[in-house]
Amino acid sequence: MEEFWKKISKNRYYIQFFKNPFSYVTGAVLLALFNIAIFAYSGNPWGVTGTFANWGAWLYRLFGGNVDKWYYFSSASAQTTLENGFLNNTGSWQNIGIIFGALLATLLASQFKFKKIKSARQIVAAVCGGLLMGYGARLAGGCNIGALFSGIASMSLSGWVFAVSLFAGAFIGSKLLTKFFM
Amino acid sequence: MMAEFELDCLGEVCPVPLVKAQKKIASMAVGDVLTVHIDHSCAMKNIPDWARKEGYNVEVEEVDDGEWDLIIEKNK
Repeated sequence: MEEFWKKISKNRYYIQFFKNPFSYVTGAVLLALFNIAIFAYSGNPWGVTGTFANWGAWLYRLFGGNVDKWYYFSSASAQTTLENGFLNNTGSWQNIGIIFGALLATLLASQFKFKKIKSARQIVAAVCGGLLMGYGARLAGGCNIGALFSGIASMSLSGWVFAVSLFAGAFIGSKLLTKFFM
Repeated sequence: MMAEFELDCLGEVCPVPLVKAQKKIASMAVGDVLTVHIDHSCAMKNIPDWARKEGYNVEVEEVDDGEWDLIIEKNK
């Protein structure tokens, strides 16, 4: 059996498709094709963070909370989405696919590892970064997928505005990063 | 006389390992060798990309699942 796995790990197709990272061009073409598929299937281009807001609302309901009066969820379509529930939501399945697909990819490449947390600084930065990204994505009406990737693909000017702002933010972020993590 | 240096970047994510490696290499003499320990797959791409562009010799060694040693020789 061990012999068998050794043989597979040396197979050139295994190495090409599962071990080595795809080139940027391959990744870009695949993302474009899958976004077209999502658009054709669901009628909406690919987005990620809008679904997380719904997950938050369902979680809040689970603990007895009520978001019906919240402005963010006040539209009829938002209410319908919440009523239909987690399992009937296309976005939920897309995000579950991302999480388990990423896990599957590292497992297939034999690169899965629990990484140690190096410092308390990393925790603080991760929590602050996550909160800022989540909050910002809801204010902007999308993240780098929904607002940038799908926005530009839909010939929307807002996608380009997002791109310029993203570069400005990334520039400031990288300055902070070298200041606090070097 | 060639010297050997090591950088422990385990648990650190992009672009920290790359910037640390760049700073370390800049402080080394020609002929010295730097070993960078990483467990972030993107550093396995961007550090060798940068080092090869600079004209250094680079070797990537997979030491464990999701863990690599990058051996960079400052040969010029």
